[in-house]
Amino acid sequence: MDSVISARDLRVSIGGKTLVGPVDFELPHGSTTGLCGPSGAGKSTVLRALVDLLPTGLVRTGELRVLGDPVRNGRAEAALRAKVVLVPQTPVVFGGSILDNALFGIRHVVRAPRQLLRERAELALQEAGLWEEVRDRLDVSAQVLSAGQRQRLCLARALALDPAALLLDEPTSALDERSRDTVEESVAALRGHRTVMLVSHDTSQVERLCDRTVHLGHLAEAQPSAALS
Amino acid sequence: MPTTLRARPPTAPTTPRRPRPPHWVLALALTGAASVVTILLLIGGYLVGGISGGTVDWITLLTSAEWSPAHGSFGALSMIFGTAAVGVLALALAVPVGWAAAIALTEYLPPRLARPLRTCVELLAAVPSIVYGLLGIMVIRPLISSVAHVPGGDSLLAAGIVLAIMIVPTVVAVSVDALSAVPDRYRESGYSLGLTRREVIRSAVLPLARTGMRAAVLLGLARALGEAIAVYLVVGRADGRLPDGIGGLLDALVRPGQTLTTKLAGPEPVLAGTSGPHFAALCGLGVLVLSLVAAATVWSTRVGGRRHEAGKPPTVRSASSLRVQQDRATAVLRLAALALPAVLLFAMLIILLAKGSTAFDPAFWFTPASGSAEGGVRDQILGTVLLMVTTGLIALPLGFGAGVLIGVRASARTARLLQTVTVVVGGTPTILLGLTGFVLLSGALGWGRSWLAGTLVLVPVVVPVVALSTSARVRGMPQELTESAMALGLSRSQYIRSVVIPYSWPATITGLLLGLARAAGETAPLLFTATVFFGAPALPGGVVDSPIQALPTHIFTLSQDSGDPQSMTQAWSSALALVMITAVLLSAAVALRNRREGERWTA
Repeated sequence: MDSVISARDLRVSIGGKTLVGPVDFELPHGSTTGLCGPSGAGKSTVLRALVDLLPTGLVRTGELRVLGDPVRNGRAEAALRAKVVLVPQTPVVFGGSILDNALFGIRHVVRAPRQLLRERAELALQEAGLWEEVRDRLDVSAQVLSAGQRQRLCLARALALDPAALLLDEPTSALDERSRDTVEESVAALRGHRTVMLVSHDTSQVERLCDRTVHLGHLAEAQPSAALS
Repeated sequence: MPTTLRARPPTAPTTPRRPRPPHWVLALALTGAASVVTILLLIGGYLVGGISGGTVDWITLLTSAEWSPAHGSFGALSMIFGTAAVGVLALALAVPVGWAAAIALTEYLPPRLARPLRTCVELLAAVPSIVYGLLGIMVIRPLISSVAHVPGGDSLLAAGIVLAIMIVPTVVAVSVDALSAVPDRYRESGYSLGLTRREVIRSAVLPLARTGMRAAVLLGLARALGEAIAVYLVVGRADGRLPDGIGGLLDALVRPGQTLTTKLAGPEPVLAGTSGPHFAALCGLGVLVLSLVAAATVWSTRVGGRRHEAGKPPTVRSASSLRVQQDRATAVLRLAALALPAVLLFAMLIILLAKGSTAFDPAFWFTPASGSAEGGVRDQILGTVLLMVTTGLIALPLGFGAGVLIGVRASARTARLLQTVTVVVGGTPTILLGLTGFVLLSGALGWGRSWLAGTLVLVPVVVPVVALSTSARVRGMPQELTESAMALGLSRSQYIRSVVIPYSWPATITGLLLGLARAAGETAPLLFTATVFFGAPALPGGVVDSPIQALPTHIFTLSQDSGDPQSMTQAWSSALALVMITAVLLSAAVALRNRREGERWTA
């Protein structure tokens, strides 16, 4: 199986009524896929449906496979979320130091000596393009970071898990122009190494960063709309 | 170009083994929830068991005014009348003042002045009821005695006034919370339409705050109906008094009476034993009190959840000069209303400081009591501290566990039910906790009045405060925080361990301090389970078989002897010491809360 994630006839519904979809797509290994559509089309909802982090009441239906294994409707396991990692729109920094935050996911998911986890966290900070800025203050509270740095810290936290796929939900929408550029650079650097799905309402950003796109139609159009460019 | 996943570090297998999930989190949550439910079941079991043990003639209980254990007649009508009378009096006096003061505090005063006043009101709300009782004995009783020519001044009116003074801070504090929760943009849009301040308050602010202010009244009512000790000291405890028709109503108010709670706080529960018609009738009274108070408490949480109605625009427009005059008039009225609690606070402080000045002598804190009213209160303070430490140690994990469960599973029906149970337990009149403890621990288990028994009846006072404070903080957690943690592959218990606990512990500790401040002043539960009037050792000689001493019950004992000036001086000094202890606990809680308000985890 070549695809990290494959979705067929994926819908999100509430009380039997379809809200989003149906949508079909494949995420091949190492691809960067943009998920586009007008606001309100349910881009973020689709992303959350892939890891079953939908708000209460919303249900995913259709076929979803991760690394070839089907994921049953309803509750995806925590283990699956550690493989397909969602990075939400608003950067969240947990209490504690920068290093604590980089370690936050992996220390809960992987049982290994602390030193090893730390190495992986540091590698992830490099991969997210934050290492040079924080290498000499890893033990400082993460609250000192700027919004752009916070977003890259969230990226590093996800990368430390060595995920099979990374789901980025509008990673730059909460940022000013300069921070946006730094985050875009980091995402661009992942191209080819990581399997990424990027949600954005900014078509030029998708063109810059992605090699393929999935379009999501309006709520009203209940028609398959998976168009690969 | 497909790339393979990078090789993982050698020690981590391809499917990494996850760290052991923190099972204790789940265990803690379930234990906490179970403890709250158990407390309610025990209280209910005691009352229901008592009723089914003997026969309760409910018709007689509700319609007859004759209460005479010797003749086997148990009618509670006069107590019901007494409870209703003091409840209505307290509300009629406290609510207008409390509401007006709350509006003045939030809408008229500059924040720099309002904030310390708010803290004062919260301090006042935590003053132990025994201190209010003392105030009633020393100030209100003589006042009524001279104005209404009632010998001694013991009367329903005195009880109503004492309760009103006691619940004003609660009404103000909860109303202020409701008013300050109204977003400023409502006020701004009101002013920008040319409304005067009075009209803005009436049309934009009050409609949104109304439900919260109604909840304040119900909470105050619940506190008034469940209060035993403060009423006990001033109501006169005369059985069988009913007004002679409607005309005699006012006359009955200035006569001694009896309420449901004061009957239960008297000597009868000890005399009645644990079976038979007398015991069953007392349990019947307990059921009445509990259902009244529980109804008021649960209702108060329900009205808060209702949908806000849009404010109706004022229909009648008066001439502009008249509007400004009206505006000024109401401003004066409201600020005057604010003056009342402030004056109360200062009057209480001055009386406390003047009458209890011995408490500033270190010797008073560090010498044991001697004779009937000599010496210091070292042993009582030690006992209270011991009780607080053990109560806190038991209540903290239980309340925290229950709070986390309520907060995390907020939408589930079981969590909502658990919250209601917690609210009911938190509102249970403490006299019932004492009686339940007395029957179960002394009666069924054969314990004496003791340290552990006292601790166990105080735990239900603290657990709900901890649980509700924790659950409110957990529920206020930003959604993004939960999502970020879950998206990184944390399991439910890991999420609670690593996100919920670090985020909510300040609220838990605040709740613990507030709960302990309340428990430190509790008198009624300890009277039946932990302390004796005379002859207790300095320190408890055992865990379950030796009485302990405590400040509130010491004050209660002294205040029984209100004719003796030496006793009263000692009582006031002890009260001042008690107020100082609760004030320390409370200021720590307020400081902690103010500090964590600035703490934010999201961008």
